[in-house]
Amino acid sequence: MGVRNHVIILPSVVCSSEVCDAIAKKVKGVISIPHPHGCAQLTQDAEQTARTLIGIGRNPNVAAVLVIGLGCEVVNPFMIGSKIGESGKLVKSLVIQEVGGTPKTVKEGIKIVRHMLTYASRFKRERVSIDSLILGGECGGSDACSGLSANPALGITSDLLIKESGTVILSETTESIGAEHILAKRAINRVVRMKILEIVSRTEMRALSLGVDIARANPTPGNYKGGITTLEEKSLGCVMKGGTSRIMEVLEYAERPTRKGLVLMDTPGQDAESVTGLVAGGVQIIAFTTGRGTPLGSPIAPVIKIATNSYVYAKMRENMDINAGEIITGNKSVQDIGEKIFHEIIRVASGKLTKSEILGHREFAINRIGPSF
Amino acid sequence: MKSRNVGKTILSHPRDNVVTAKSLIKAGTVLHFPKGTKVKTKEEIPFGHKVALRKIAKGRAVVKYGEHIGKAVRTIAPGELVHTHNVEGERGKGRK
Repeated sequence: MGVRNHVIILPSVVCSSEVCDAIAKKVKGVISIPHPHGCAQLTQDAEQTARTLIGIGRNPNVAAVLVIGLGCEVVNPFMIGSKIGESGKLVKSLVIQEVGGTPKTVKEGIKIVRHMLTYASRFKRERVSIDSLILGGECGGSDACSGLSANPALGITSDLLIKESGTVILSETTESIGAEHILAKRAINRVVRMKILEIVSRTEMRALSLGVDIARANPTPGNYKGGITTLEEKSLGCVMKGGTSRIMEVLEYAERPTRKGLVLMDTPGQDAESVTGLVAGGVQIIAFTTGRGTPLGSPIAPVIKIATNSYVYAKMRENMDINAGEIITGNKSVQDIGEKIFHEIIRVASGKLTKSEILGHREFAINRIGPSF
Repeated sequence: MKSRNVGKTILSHPRDNVVTAKSLIKAGTVLHFPKGTKVKTKEEIPFGHKVALRKIAKGRAVVKYGEHIGKAVRTIAPGELVHTHNVEGERGKGRK
């Protein structure tokens, strides 16, 4: 069940990105999803990129996909197309080296996506239960208010959604460092508990291998100045977004959940990579809290932007959807704003556009776990 | 999570022994809480900073969001600022 009905053009590799963009420029209403990877990647890193691209194509917000490849890349466009096609949606693939160059591929691609637009336009909105919703929680550009207003409010929203049998995916493993033992206590079973601790440890080790001890470097001087005293407090302020439910599953980057309820996905704190991973995992809507103000959107999923403070809500009004700053400077409670976000999610799911969609934000980034060769 | 927005402060969870200032609170301000609880600030509490709701004995946990966020390194009286000078986190000491 999707909340949108997009026709997308997906490059399997950096070398076909330009063609995807060129087609999208010529055909109103299609979205190209350019990325700079897909070539000279090895093993798990190549597998993760492929899984992410397949996941984007399979996302229920997508009605039809044109996959475009070059012909010699590691991430095979026909494999991508075939895997996406298993979901039953309309998928076609083109390979530049087979069609014979980029201008011919653009011409062929335009014909295909025009047909796809007709196909997609026949779908109608249906009334469905909220239990088919998978919400992604994200925070970016956090400030001293994040853990006081927007994140706790989003936690209320998460609890409400999970009570109605929906799913919430919490990501950004980096931001769980310091609260992992608290999260682990809420695991539904031992396997999940061990996996929570494992993904946090993995992230710390990765940073250590680059000479950075995240636990020692946080909270930062800016955090202290803002009132955050310990790493535990900082991380709890972030993981609040997921609410109080038991954690049912831990997913690798861009993996689809097999359980309902609260689920964790291992993504970095980097917002574009995290949102991309969530959407590739099947998230239909992102609820994104921000204190400093970030405009980040997603090409195929509405991103509801929740300001932690009234100052940034007013300053970046055109990018903001909800003001959680009313908890700090007004009379609203965390419960009030949590319910407000919940109702906004229902409206957005039913068709209301978010600011990021209106402004056309398509930020997209695939998390890499190995270098290129 | 039953967070209470009580006038000048936010109580994130009913189990918490600290509240967080929604704006700068001057020293000597009386903060009123449900069930008649009152706390007088012993010093200035900047925006976003925490003030003790009750006495926190040395070595006992500082509780926010319903969880332990650190230990008091000396006894903290109600109304005192709670921050890096009297609290130490345990997780944030880096990898040993």
